[in-house]
Amino acid sequence: MDVVHDVLDKHITDRNGREMGRVDGILLDVRPNEAPRLAAVVIGASALGFRVNPIVGRWVHGVEYGVGIGEERPIRIDFSHVAEVGEKVKVDVTVAESGAETLERRLREWILKIPGSR
Amino acid sequence: MKKIFNLLLGVVTSIGGFVEAGSISTAAQGGTEFGFALLWAIAVATIILAMLAEMAGRIATVGKRSMAAAVRERFGFHYQMIPLGAELMIDLLLLAAEIGGVAVAVKLLTGVGFQWWILPVGLVVWLVIWLGNFSVIEDGVGLLGMVTVAFVVAAWRLHPGPKAVAAGFVPSVPGHDLTRYAFLTVSIVGATVSPYLLNFYSSGAIEEKWTEPDLWINRTTSYLGMGFGSIVSMGVLVTAAVVLGPLQLRVDSYEQAALMFVPVFGRWAVTLFACSLGVGCFGAAVEITLNAGYVLAQSFGWTWGVDKPRRDAARFCAAFTTVLLVSVVIALLGFDPLQMTLISVALTVVVMPLIVLPFLVLMNDEQFVKQHKSGSIGNGLLAALTILGALMALVVIPLEIFGG
Repeated sequence: MDVVHDVLDKHITDRNGREMGRVDGILLDVRPNEAPRLAAVVIGASALGFRVNPIVGRWVHGVEYGVGIGEERPIRIDFSHVAEVGEKVKVDVTVAESGAETLERRLREWILKIPGSR
Repeated sequence: MKKIFNLLLGVVTSIGGFVEAGSISTAAQGGTEFGFALLWAIAVATIILAMLAEMAGRIATVGKRSMAAAVRERFGFHYQMIPLGAELMIDLLLLAAEIGGVAVAVKLLTGVGFQWWILPVGLVVWLVIWLGNFSVIEDGVGLLGMVTVAFVVAAWRLHPGPKAVAAGFVPSVPGHDLTRYAFLTVSIVGATVSPYLLNFYSSGAIEEKWTEPDLWINRTTSYLGMGFGSIVSMGVLVTAAVVLGPLQLRVDSYEQAALMFVPVFGRWAVTLFACSLGVGCFGAAVEITLNAGYVLAQSFGWTWGVDKPRRDAARFCAAFTTVLLVSVVIALLGFDPLQMTLISVALTVVVMPLIVLPFLVLMNDEQFVKQHKSGSIGNGLLAALTILGALMALVVIPLEIFGG
């Protein structure tokens, strides 16, 4: 498996096939005298920001705090939960357990108040 | 039978949805200043657009990914953030320009200042998306857009010399204002090959659940729809050339451009021009708003789709609503809609090589197109287009300064 080609930036879905976002980052566990180990896949705009530049990452993380999701972002899903790597990356957790749905849920509460929302 | 009907509907709506602020203003300026000499630019730009749209549709139909999603997956975020950022910027400016275009059209009809109409227009755009589904939006807007065929009727009734028109399809060097000519050529390409159209088209293929047996529908819709659509743009250019050309002016407002209908439609001229401009810009505004939501949701992996219940795609809804709000604010700040159109068109040309280059890779990657890969002609054209795009990107800013 080529981690950058096959995993990074791929769509990530939960146990029930629900969309969780994209693999915005990959955490490696690097120890002296050992081969690096894949530790986790990471979801969240701040992870993307850190990939661009640490200053951008910190700024985006600040925005995440601003909208009330800073505590749980970026979301880390242990690599042992990665069930399948194909067209999409499937993980063996649910979107609710992971916390990837918090912003969607909050926005949904707003949207349900708008007339005509289906 | 149903497929044939859908195909016809797709072609008709492509015609209706072809012209908007960018194509009307660049074609009107081109015709007024250079007669029929820039018809070839519309033809070439349309072939480029149809080719890219067909490929984007193929990737969406076979690989089940829109352009934004495919580019993120294949090229990574480091590459994607530049075209993504540029596309959002273009969407914001062009959306503000389209809303401004509708507002000017309503002003032409009512006489009430265009600034007063920006907020209501923005609200109607939002309501159409909020309450509609994909086919209502796509077909409704496209069918209403058939009013823009008025440009073709006008051009036809003005009896332009067939030989002179035919000569316009051969690229030529004008005897005056070469910089301005080059600027308008590049602008016509930028206004036609808009990145929002490509992503909107590929997202539409996914919304309409096209599958591999539907690839012929994709091919026909993209080439025929856009081919016929370009005739409307050519109608704008020819009408402007015949009516406004002899007046020796530069079209720098829509009010001026409206005069092109006077010899043909008499007292209905302004009404018809306003309806064509208004409906064309309104359709584009709806598509750009939706596209901004699509691009953001697809890039970040959120649930998206205008056919989905709004509560199931909350971030997508929030994204398109926010973009629309920002554009309404930009339009309210009072920038001239025509100027904003030209700036966004120039920006489109600047990022064109970054938009085209991914096609060359994606169209040869089995993961995205399976066995429907691009042939040697397609690849050759894409490579040439990438180089041409890079050249245009280099010259567009100097041209904007000296010829714009």
